[in-house]
Amino acid sequence: MGVTYAVTALDGVAFGLLLFVVGAGLMLIFGVMDVLNLAHGSLFLGGAYIGYLLGGSGLLDLAAAVAAGAVLGAGGGVALGLAMRPLVGHGHLEQALATLGISFVAADAYTSGFGGAPLPVNPPELLAGTVTLGRHGYPTYRLGFIIVAALLAVLLHLTITRSRHGVLLRATVADPAMAAATGINTRMVQTLAMAAGGALAVTAGVLGAPLLGPAPGVDTTVLVLSLIIVIIGGAGSIPGALVAALLVGQVQTVGVIAAPTAAPFALLGVLLVVLTIRNRAQPAVHA
Amino acid sequence: MTPTTVAAPATTDTPPQRVSATSKARGAALLAVALLGAVALPAVVDSYTASIASTALVLATLAMSAQIVTGLAGLPTTGQAAYLGVGAYTAALLANAGLSNGPAQLVAAAASGAAAAAVTAPFVLRSRGTAFLMVTFAVGELARTVASKWATVTGGDDGLQAPPVTIWPGTAPLRAEGYIYLYLLGCFLILAAAVAVLLRTRLALVLRGAADHEPRLGALGHHVTRSLFAGWTAAGALAGAAGALLIAANHHVSPADMHLDMSALALLAAAIGVGTMRGAVAGAVLIVVVRDLIGAETGGHALTLVGLAFLLTAYRRPITARLRTWTARRRA
Repeated sequence: MGVTYAVTALDGVAFGLLLFVVGAGLMLIFGVMDVLNLAHGSLFLGGAYIGYLLGGSGLLDLAAAVAAGAVLGAGGGVALGLAMRPLVGHGHLEQALATLGISFVAADAYTSGFGGAPLPVNPPELLAGTVTLGRHGYPTYRLGFIIVAALLAVLLHLTITRSRHGVLLRATVADPAMAAATGINTRMVQTLAMAAGGALAVTAGVLGAPLLGPAPGVDTTVLVLSLIIVIIGGAGSIPGALVAALLVGQVQTVGVIAAPTAAPFALLGVLLVVLTIRNRAQPAVHA
Repeated sequence: MTPTTVAAPATTDTPPQRVSATSKARGAALLAVALLGAVALPAVVDSYTASIASTALVLATLAMSAQIVTGLAGLPTTGQAAYLGVGAYTAALLANAGLSNGPAQLVAAAASGAAAAAVTAPFVLRSRGTAFLMVTFAVGELARTVASKWATVTGGDDGLQAPPVTIWPGTAPLRAEGYIYLYLLGCFLILAAAVAVLLRTRLALVLRGAADHEPRLGALGHHVTRSLFAGWTAAGALAGAAGALLIAANHHVSPADMHLDMSALALLAAAIGVGTMRGAVAGAVLIVVVRDLIGAETGGHALTLVGLAFLLTAYRRPITARLRTWTARRRA
């Protein structure tokens, strides 16, 4: 029994990290443009379908799928930024409607292209086996995913806190007008951040396809869970989002097994408690 | 983030002080024609179209709920379907417990919707702008998850069936689509009248002021938080009532009825109405026509049509501005 829980907990870590990568993209887009991207789940689902199309039996296939996903995601992010530009400064209703419209059209396109049934995506043959952890086997691909996503989290955190790009990003988020006055090309920073946000979502879809296969409705599930992570973690904090993601991952896996009836309420409860404790002001990016 | 307001124009149903008599008369005439058409509808269309019209009335009620929050108080909500779900499950549970009286279900559903809104208000109303979008969306989707997992009460993903409603104790239950539609229309008109009264209260003025400049209103001594709470609860009651109408129309509720799509459509209807209640109702009817009548002809691509309606509404301001400069340049 204990071993089962340990394995499920590891699954929870993998799922949590998957949500973290998606949520980090959502947070970047929210941070630089103050846009809640309700089409973010569609980006993820697009990545999962790319993983289905390009992912084959070899490692090179996976690499190609990841590269294609990153490029298309970056393009999608930039396109989204351009699409949002005429709406910025006119309130949040229009932005919500526009991103919702994109997600409706994307959902229809996915169902037309790939049908309404969930599609299986297998990891490359080299990673398809299991690794023995103690006395129990664990899928190699999942373990690899955990390592890659954890590295990505560290890299993101270091980029935002330590690098010059991170400084420019934080300055642009904190006060775009002042940042522009000091000579920062804020528009370029915004475009790059949108590209990074889109690339994170789509890459998460490609890499996560063997964990969470493409199917209609996955877009909404991923969107709401990554959104909860951003809310719980405190918009703008990478470590906060990571902790929130791991928490949500555990609730969604271990929680569902240990307390099937309480698990759906647990997430709602955590969210409401955090909202009550949190100061009303939403913090800016201050990783 | 500073509290930001939605730039929805503060046009409303309350007539401004000096409206020309002709435009007022034209509005009243339009309303009368719409009303006559709505009443006469089941006599001229088949029962399938009547059932679609019933769907439109449910969405129109939810759209009024969304408009109270979005158009009046300036807070775009993406979670109104959660309260519709609370009302619908309440009505279905009552119906299965033997209370088939429709109006009684309606009152109970509205009360449960209001209660759910009041309970969630302290959390939801702490945020503004984009954060409000996030929180209402998260609460709505989590409510849907609860509905799908709490199988002992809600029937899980299969949902709950409910017997047809009766209008009066002892009368025959409503089965024909035309009669169901007329019952929904009656309920809708009563609810719309209640909303019209709400729009002419002091509360509506405070909410509108809060949408425009919340800190200033607070500085003037208005109890903004209390007013927002009242408005949010009223919207919850209206959404709950929409849930009872859903049960009367479909005899069924499932977590799918609480999906983000439903909340999004209510928000779209509110946005099409640019802050007015009549506009929100017209928007809801338009959406259902586009999705269920025109969309049925597109070979399963109704979603794309609805998505385009979202985009068109979102970009209405930039598009009209572009058109205006273009026509002005041509005239010059």
